[in-house]
Amino acid sequence: MGISNEVLTMIIRSIISVLLVITALSGCRVDEEFDGPSLNDLYGDFAVISPLQISNDPVDFSTGETTAFTAEFTKNISWTLRITGLETGAIKEISDFSNTLDASNATWNGTTTLLPMFRPELCAVELTFDNEPDTLRDTVLVTGVTNHPGLLLSDFESGTNPGWVTFSQSGANMSFTIDDEGASAQGTHYFDIGGTVNWDWLIALIHMPAVAYGGTTFNLSENPAEVFFNSMLFKPSDLNNGIMLFQFREDDNGDGAYSNNEDMYSYEIAMAENGWNQYSIRYADIPTLINGQPAAALGNGIHEPHKLMQVSALFLANPNSGYANAYLDYLLFTEGSPLIP
Amino acid sequence: MRTSLILILLAPALVLLTSRVHAQEKRKVTFTGLGRSVFYGDDLRQDTPVPDTVTARKLHSGHVLVDVGVQIRPNANTEVLGMVRVRNDYGGFWGSGVTFDVRQLYVKGVIGNIIRYQLGDINYRMTRYTLWNPDQEVVSSMPLLFAQQADLLNYDHFYNFDQAWRQQGASAEFGLVFSKWIDELQVHAMTSRIAPADFVTTHDRLFSGLSISLIQSKYLRAGLNYANLYDVAGTSRNPVSFHNPVLTGTLHGEVPLKTVRLSIDAESGRSRTYYREDPQAPEITGQFTEASLTAVHEKTGIRITALAKMIDAQFRSPGAQTKRIRYDAAPIAYSRITNDQVLRPLNMVDLMRESTLCMMQLSPSLMQFAPRYDNITPYGDATPNRQGTVITLAYEKKDSPVRLEASRSDLQEMRGEGTLRARTFTRTDIRSELLVHALFADWKKHITLSGSMRSDQTNRPEEGRVQGVDLRTQLYSAGLEAEIFTHLDLLVGFQQITYQGTEFTAMRDAYSQIFNFSEYEVDGTETLTGAGIRYRFSDSAFVSTQWNSFRNNDQLAAVSPYTMNQLVWVFQMKF
Repeated sequence: MGISNEVLTMIIRSIISVLLVITALSGCRVDEEFDGPSLNDLYGDFAVISPLQISNDPVDFSTGETTAFTAEFTKNISWTLRITGLETGAIKEISDFSNTLDASNATWNGTTTLLPMFRPELCAVELTFDNEPDTLRDTVLVTGVTNHPGLLLSDFESGTNPGWVTFSQSGANMSFTIDDEGASAQGTHYFDIGGTVNWDWLIALIHMPAVAYGGTTFNLSENPAEVFFNSMLFKPSDLNNGIMLFQFREDDNGDGAYSNNEDMYSYEIAMAENGWNQYSIRYADIPTLINGQPAAALGNGIHEPHKLMQVSALFLANPNSGYANAYLDYLLFTEGSPLIP
Repeated sequence: MRTSLILILLAPALVLLTSRVHAQEKRKVTFTGLGRSVFYGDDLRQDTPVPDTVTARKLHSGHVLVDVGVQIRPNANTEVLGMVRVRNDYGGFWGSGVTFDVRQLYVKGVIGNIIRYQLGDINYRMTRYTLWNPDQEVVSSMPLLFAQQADLLNYDHFYNFDQAWRQQGASAEFGLVFSKWIDELQVHAMTSRIAPADFVTTHDRLFSGLSISLIQSKYLRAGLNYANLYDVAGTSRNPVSFHNPVLTGTLHGEVPLKTVRLSIDAESGRSRTYYREDPQAPEITGQFTEASLTAVHEKTGIRITALAKMIDAQFRSPGAQTKRIRYDAAPIAYSRITNDQVLRPLNMVDLMRESTLCMMQLSPSLMQFAPRYDNITPYGDATPNRQGTVITLAYEKKDSPVRLEASRSDLQEMRGEGTLRARTFTRTDIRSELLVHALFADWKKHITLSGSMRSDQTNRPEEGRVQGVDLRTQLYSAGLEAEIFTHLDLLVGFQQITYQGTEFTAMRDAYSQIFNFSEYEVDGTETLTGAGIRYRFSDSAFVSTQWNSFRNNDQLAAVSPYTMNQLVWVFQMKF
């Protein structure tokens, strides 16, 4: 009835051998990565291990400096770093999902998320977290702002260009002047255009010929895909009728003058968003418009920014719509990408 | 489908045609089937602080049905089976509540004495990692009294003892016999249609399997298995198609010694799950290896098996990982209770008798499961993300009144979920049966006592501020089957499952990838006690009446503790 010792020993030895071989092969290894989101991130308690610190304060962006923010928490979490200019109200936001802030995810190079752009000023820094009440605060002093490369038509900081040709209707409550009341998009000044013109769409215009900048054409790249036109426009919250129309006249035949059989591209902006907003467009994408509708090219139909001889800014409004108003600031051609304010 | 329809239409004609032959050649036409009558009388009593005035306390249901199959053998090499089911729910009359279904339909035969084939309904299984229908949780350990109800469910849904999946398609097999070196080469192949196309978003989904077995001798056997669940691109306008091929190799060897028979079994393979034309879908591959050594001492009836397994977290095999129970479904009986009519969580009685929970087709993704019932092998032996050993000790001898099997599993995850730390799993499972009548030489009537115990534990230490995992499940069952008069049996049953602890359950997206976790905490006991009598007309016919009392006492569930008493009457006859 019983098993002999010899048999029992053999069975046990065999089983142990197989288990050893299999265990050695498998090694009961555990992967060095895990499936799904981190439980610590989902269920772990949140706490700040290292407080918010600023690597470069004060910072001068005009010399290419940047500043990084550092902090460390107990778990990965969605955080938002908000930098607010105490004079301009300019806002820069940086967000991520991580358990640390460092140079890789929290570096500020002076750019702006919400206009206006920063000026040399003291800025408040706030670090907030999703679903957590904690807020970490600090300040950083900006001593110099970023210099944006490109061809600047005007930032209205030092008056108007004497080479410009301007015109404004003789309507009611007309404004057609450089102003510094309230926040500008960049710097301290902007151009205020407004009024009531009940007989014409045009309220006012500015012609900015290339000769006003020292050449017969603007000094731009030949590649229209690389050239971007940028402008910053302000729409009062109680007015919805203003339209800004930018016209780009090219000297197709190189005779130094514009005629009706040469290209004129038009960029019409029906300002929908309140406050300051940036509008940028690739030069190659600017259409030909006749009475606001896309139309066949007037000239050779080739976008040639290097032949651009005049930029015009026309402020329009439906004559039946009453008072219209807009601010204009920082007209800039950039190459390679739109302006990053 | 067209073939099936033609066969349905032709079946009566075939019966008539063969009836003349029947007199001359025996067994040309055979009738087979089952008749059944079931009645359930339920009574729910809730321990709510405020009486439930919305839910009906008593529920009565039942049906009479007959499955009639005609097996026709028009020639020596062909067999046709058509089986219809006529069912009448109690309360139905003059056609109301009566259903008429085709339950089975197949044609099988042999082509040229070489290839055996079957068309239509086929029961098919391959290996435990390719195509396998694992038992549902909790139910498989039930004593005979409760198993009567589970058997009805299993029969209705083709959950067979051989773990085969019921499919609709075609299969074929043939073998080659060699004179030297190799005894035989067997080839089995099948394809079934899992889901039909809707021509817009859903493709025809097929499952195909191929097994090649090389039998060197009775001591050595090797096999190659290929299983694939896949969409047939072009059958709908949806450009995205699902594919999940699994390829495995098997090995079986036997070493006959003087008093001990040693056998080695191993299976290893890999899976690949991917979607064509879906840039969002991940492509995942997984591997597994399982090997076991079994020693059987014929003289004493002792069997020892040592098994080691290693299954990747990304191993996907729909044919082997599809569950029988859909835990996202709701039961019909008392589906909503309390004055607030909240959904009643499933309990073990539901697993035993609720038809709406049963899965009939292969699932392309990992299905929901209930950790309180089984957190260790929710997807059967092919449960992904497991590694470790299982030791089994069994005693079974032809003339012995005792049967015993005990196993111990020590497993852990191969990849952590939400953390680098892996869960560890331990399971102790003991099943025993005592044929009391065999202890007494003069005792003619049979008495069988059965008992089982399963203890599961899942652990993971806490990490930082995240609580650990500590989930324990204990399952006890006992049964008595005593013949008190000739053919009249007394049946007594008891089963209790206790679960307690905390876990994090994974929430998976459409690609079975974990995207979140849900905290899971249970503290409850479910107890099922019952007694009944059964009269056996023959080995294939019986009538039984039983009374069961089920108590659910889950302290943390959305519903208060409740008791569900059940009166069940079953008549069944197979022919």
